[in-house]
Amino acid sequence: MAKARGETIWTALDRKATAIAEFTMRQYRTRISTWVVLGVGFLSISVVLLFYIDAMNTEIEAIDNDGDSFDSDGDGYVDGQEFKLGTDMFDEFSHPGLFNPPIEPEPASMYINEDDYDWDYSDARSVSTGYDDDGDCLESQLLESQKDTNNDGIACNILIVFNSLTGEYEIFADSGVDEDPDEDRYGKEAQHRAFVLAIGKLGFVFLLSIFIPLFLATGLIRDEMTSGTMHYMTAKPIARGEIFLYRMLGYLGIVWPYMLVMCLLMAIISGLLGPGDQFFRFADLGVWFSVLIAALLATLVYGMLFCFLGVLWKYGIILALPIAAWELGMALLSMSVPESTFLRMSVVGWSMSIIDSGALLVWPDMDMFTQAGSWAGGSNDGNSFFSFETESLPGHGALEWAQSDLGLGMGPYPTIIVSMIILLAQAAFFWFIGQLVFKSKEIE
Amino acid sequence: MIPDVSQTGEAVEQQWVPQPKAPVVMLNNVGKTYGRYQALGGVSLALSGGVTGILGLNGAGKSTLFKLLMGKLRATQGEVRLFGTNPWKNPAPYARVGYVPENESLHDWMTAFDFVTTFARLHGLTRDEAKLEAERVLEFVGLTDVMHKKIGRYSKGMRQRAKIAHALVNDPDLIILDEPLQGCDPLARTTIMNVIRELGRMGRTVLLSSHILSEIERITEQIVILHQGRLLAIGNVHAIREQLDNIPHTIEIECSDAKALARDVLSLDSVHGLQFPNNTKLRIFTHHLGEFHKHLPKVVVENGHGVTNINNPDDDLQTILGYLTGGPR
Repeated sequence: MAKARGETIWTALDRKATAIAEFTMRQYRTRISTWVVLGVGFLSISVVLLFYIDAMNTEIEAIDNDGDSFDSDGDGYVDGQEFKLGTDMFDEFSHPGLFNPPIEPEPASMYINEDDYDWDYSDARSVSTGYDDDGDCLESQLLESQKDTNNDGIACNILIVFNSLTGEYEIFADSGVDEDPDEDRYGKEAQHRAFVLAIGKLGFVFLLSIFIPLFLATGLIRDEMTSGTMHYMTAKPIARGEIFLYRMLGYLGIVWPYMLVMCLLMAIISGLLGPGDQFFRFADLGVWFSVLIAALLATLVYGMLFCFLGVLWKYGIILALPIAAWELGMALLSMSVPESTFLRMSVVGWSMSIIDSGALLVWPDMDMFTQAGSWAGGSNDGNSFFSFETESLPGHGALEWAQSDLGLGMGPYPTIIVSMIILLAQAAFFWFIGQLVFKSKEIE
Repeated sequence: MIPDVSQTGEAVEQQWVPQPKAPVVMLNNVGKTYGRYQALGGVSLALSGGVTGILGLNGAGKSTLFKLLMGKLRATQGEVRLFGTNPWKNPAPYARVGYVPENESLHDWMTAFDFVTTFARLHGLTRDEAKLEAERVLEFVGLTDVMHKKIGRYSKGMRQRAKIAHALVNDPDLIILDEPLQGCDPLARTTIMNVIRELGRMGRTVLLSSHILSEIERITEQIVILHQGRLLAIGNVHAIREQLDNIPHTIEIECSDAKALARDVLSLDSVHGLQFPNNTKLRIFTHHLGEFHKHLPKVVVENGHGVTNINNPDDDLQTILGYLTGGPR
């Protein structure tokens, strides 16, 4: 056939590419197994979403972290009120009712969650923050030196210092500052962040991005070779490497929109249901975007890898299973030891770095916020006045588990860029060896 | 037909250099082994133009030969050339080839029109060009009225024709059909045979395989016989039949009076033995099949014998191969 004017190798390539990609997408759509796999993926994510919805709608019980709603001496005045007014909270004959004029006892509920933390979260190395909302520090009868137990020269504040040796924040609080935080407010925020991170890392990058390619990409070339229909395609003037690539394009044409829709769905639901004063958590879209990028790249790399394994061996799925198990191990390792060098030999490790970076960009206070939950607002440095409750706040455990530092020792933007480049290189590598193997494969 | 290595010139591997003077198909001492099993051994062949039937029993190496030509298999010995180019790992010559594989699996979920269009685009055609081309080839094989139905609902013959149609897009110079008549009903057979004959008339090089001699005979006179991976005979089907003349043949004739016919037939020189299975059946043994067939009609007509059936039980491939490989079986 004579070539028309303006014909280049690219227009010809484009015709072949779109022909095979379209063909592959239509083939996927006619297979019931495709819909089963995608449906199961949707259901499993939805189940986790139900837990999230339930958590967001459950009021977290308020705890009196500093114990000042307790009436120690049984005189009808809670300890907090007695402390504020300077009477002896352990002596039933000393209470504000004996004042002239007598002061009425305040309800105990006023002394629960009465001093929530109120610092501006920032990623600064050293921060002086905190305000004594309930006045049990500033308005108390304490000496000025007792009001400044952290010796920073400022009465009734909290000093946060980053310890570069341990990589953690150290918190030095004056007594009675931010000592009774609002469990519900912290817990909801922590649970929300933990959910977004966990579903992004384990749900999207691990579960969906491994199992969907496992079932959809492993047979991409192999099924055709087994059934004999590959004879039609390989008898046409098209290189096998191109067939491999364009089949992958068709696979991505199904899997990427699916991932996009799933991510969008999650972002909308969690954005509407998530805690906060605003109608929709717009900032979270940034995290969901990083989840999407990570999931798209992970499905690309795993797709190339599993398709290659399918070409390599008739039972390629058996080769893929140990890889999936390795990746699960790497996923868990990434959440606990993000700086481990083993992670560099995985797909999941790089993908999760993208999500962690995205989370850090949207929530720069992540480290501080996580650690704040561990000391429950009141100071636990041993010299506090009110430190009856030093257990961590609800949601803190989940957040600490879901969140991890950037393992590359770089900032979030460089981490994202490096991770994306590595993932693309992995995909290119698997395509390269995949098409080499396919090219030298005899088709019976 | 006879391999002539000198006319091929030097083929450049992995690079498509059209060689107009090279034979369409050239095999030089080609062999393919799987472990210790030899599927094909020492086959040399050069073909250009015309319809050639590759004849052989199941497992004779016909499909292996085609798959070597289509770069699906790698030859363990010898050289394979398609338009002067080694087809292994080099899809460039396939631009001029249409291949109809033997396996019956097809993309059942597609319509024949979509199937042919999609694969036409792999030749680098645009969507519109491919559609026109698909309409043309589907009309050529006679599927126009059903081309928008799913292939899964087609009969065996229609499926074969869809496969042939897909192979004919882009107007190939060489068409390879692996058992195109297998499993087809008589009507479909006739249609497909006509299509193949038509392709031959259009000057294309057509290679088709079969294990039934009579099928091939109805399409072409040019045959290649493969047996157990070896090239056994090559040439005109009549020439091969002539060779068969000099070996004993059996002919069964059903007639009204076997004994009367036997008397008259015995006068022929070519007959060297007779048998009477029953009163209406005569079994004749001859060393000169052609000679016998030349005189038989005369004997029958002149003496007014009521012949109902003439059967040539030896005239199947199995027997021919038996003779060609040494003595009757």
